[in-house]
Amino acid sequence: MLTHTHNALTRPSRVVVMGAGGFVGGAILARLKALDVPVLPVSRTDVDLLGEGGGAALAALLHPGDVLVAVSAKAPCKTPAMMEENMRMVAALCQVAAGSELAQVVNISSDAVYTDDAPLVSEFTPAAPASLHGTMHLAREIMLRGVCKAPLAVLRPSIIYGAADPHNGYGPNRFRRLAAEGKEITLFGEGEEKRDHVFVDDVAELVALTILHGSRGVLNLTSGESHSFRDVAEMAVRLAGSASTVKGTPRQNPITHRHFDVTVRLRAFPTFRATPLAEGMAKARRDMENN
Amino acid sequence: MSLPVVGFAGMTHLGLVSATAVTARGMPTVCYDPDQALVARLRNRELPVVEPDLDDMVAANGDRQTFTADLADLSACGVVYIAKDVPTDDTGKSDTSGIAALIEQILPILGEKAVLVILCQVPPGFTRKIPLEPSRLYYQVETLIFGRAVERATQPERYIVGCAAPDAPLHPAFEAVLAAFGCPILSMRYESAELAKISINMCLVASVSVANTMAEICEKIGAVWSEIVPALKLDRRIGQYSYLSPGLGIAGGNLERDLATVLRFSEEYGTDSGVVSAWIANSRHRRDWALRLVHESALREKVDPVLAVWGLAYKENTHSTKNSPSLATIAPLAPYRLRVFDPVIPVAAANHPRAEGATSPVEAASGADALLILTPWPVFRQADPAAVAKVMAGRLVIDPYAVLDHQAATTAGLDHRVLGAPAAV
Repeated sequence: MLTHTHNALTRPSRVVVMGAGGFVGGAILARLKALDVPVLPVSRTDVDLLGEGGGAALAALLHPGDVLVAVSAKAPCKTPAMMEENMRMVAALCQVAAGSELAQVVNISSDAVYTDDAPLVSEFTPAAPASLHGTMHLAREIMLRGVCKAPLAVLRPSIIYGAADPHNGYGPNRFRRLAAEGKEITLFGEGEEKRDHVFVDDVAELVALTILHGSRGVLNLTSGESHSFRDVAEMAVRLAGSASTVKGTPRQNPITHRHFDVTVRLRAFPTFRATPLAEGMAKARRDMENN
Repeated sequence: MSLPVVGFAGMTHLGLVSATAVTARGMPTVCYDPDQALVARLRNRELPVVEPDLDDMVAANGDRQTFTADLADLSACGVVYIAKDVPTDDTGKSDTSGIAALIEQILPILGEKAVLVILCQVPPGFTRKIPLEPSRLYYQVETLIFGRAVERATQPERYIVGCAAPDAPLHPAFEAVLAAFGCPILSMRYESAELAKISINMCLVASVSVANTMAEICEKIGAVWSEIVPALKLDRRIGQYSYLSPGLGIAGGNLERDLATVLRFSEEYGTDSGVVSAWIANSRHRRDWALRLVHESALREKVDPVLAVWGLAYKENTHSTKNSPSLATIAPLAPYRLRVFDPVIPVAAANHPRAEGATSPVEAASGADALLILTPWPVFRQADPAAVAKVMAGRLVIDPYAVLDHQAATTAGLDHRVLGAPAAV
């Protein structure tokens, strides 16, 4: 559940985006600037949370009343070494959250904190991650919750897509690129699994709304629509006007689906409109072509 | 034995209806409430609750049903019912401090041979702790159903009575009251009776949860739940009176209170209550069916749309808005314009910044981009879908309880959405 400190939109004195150089951090930065919110972007080159005194370096940049958006993480977290690095990063963030007079902390988490076998997920679904990545995010949430003096908003996006995504993971981004190049798209099995894919602009908008309302609690950042990977692949081919083929492979794992109940978001931000997948995919394609 | 004078402490919905039913069976009743203004209104036969036939019955009871704000008047009664509301907090936990205080006031003035009956819903273990001679202390399961309270009170299917000694005969005065209704009387330990009420509600919740779960699947795969229900009701293991109508979650404070009570006992004693948690989760999910639908189908398509809302009450034929699915649905629609009609509840009860009242269902629907029928008042069933379609600007009608005839609504060109059926049938 998400509760607001301000019912009316209220600009904070400043927002510090830790991880502003990344795909999601960059989108958040752009959206906040568009809303005339004073922003301080901080990237790994400014402050290395893994380096000696990383927390102190970040704390030195903060002013009382700042909002801190914590985006940076080593993701996807797949190995014990990455886990260890992420824990060091969040320890530094905790040092900052505990020792600074912040107005709000916004932690960008992940829907990987939920159990894989929950077909319909809401903010009330217990977090029970089965992956290292999900475990990392849940540990990060718990650590921050334990020390944060300011209102803490934990935002859990589903699969984020957009033109600038540097990852080439299985899903809309890879499919869009393969389709643009006219290459074959290979599915796991027949791509039956249904997943929620959220457009990066929507993530940025929801983060901005969370900041402008001074919200605290948990919110899933999702589109509310679940599509099979085959549908997404075929949509990418159609949008590209491509000759790419979409090919299935022998299934290695059982089919699982994930849908989201978006009621908490509808209640928290009733005028927010999620971008439908086809619309978001088309915009991502245009953005990709323009860059 | 001659019929006793029966006292009722607490002119709540339950207390008033129960007292009226007992009076109608020929027994004089003393209806006590400490609220002098309420008693004055009751003496003028101005009733604080809306229930079919209740006004007529109170009028017919005449002087046999007296109202008083003087506690001492209960001392002349052979049987005194405690009918005060037991409030719950946000988690559904009962606050019994009020009823405990009332009992403490009544015990000193209770007649020497009089019987005390706890009629309001209390958590198991409450009744046995009352410091009164056990042979004069009973718990009686209440059967209030909003909108059908008079019917339930005048024609009970059975009485469930908690007592100290289940095998012993009931106190004659109490038995005389119950016998007047001519239905079976089931005596059991206090704790069993207290838990029986909760068990009944758990069965109802289970049935409604089945209906809500399967109705949602119907909406996705092209089945129609209302076609399935008759088949279930003819199955003797399920039964013709089973609660199989899907709804906007499990509305009603009593059911939610009992769910919370079971969870608390489960936690305290280490019993499994996973299914109860699942019912609660399902209820929360289905409560917002209309909210999700209006967002998906109307709000994303139009700038500053107008939404018509029919019904604010918790259910039809009641003035209560406590736990109303309608209010739960419209609260998060604060940015949108609403035009509201309810036959009993004023628009102010909506507590919505952009809600305006209408004087009729059709006036509310006039110019609306979507219509939400959130309480199934009988008067709404009389609305002509063609007339509604004519005045509406949009086509979407969200009608969870199928108040409008689906065929007529569809023929009129409306996009008529009901619980348990796909978008177009």
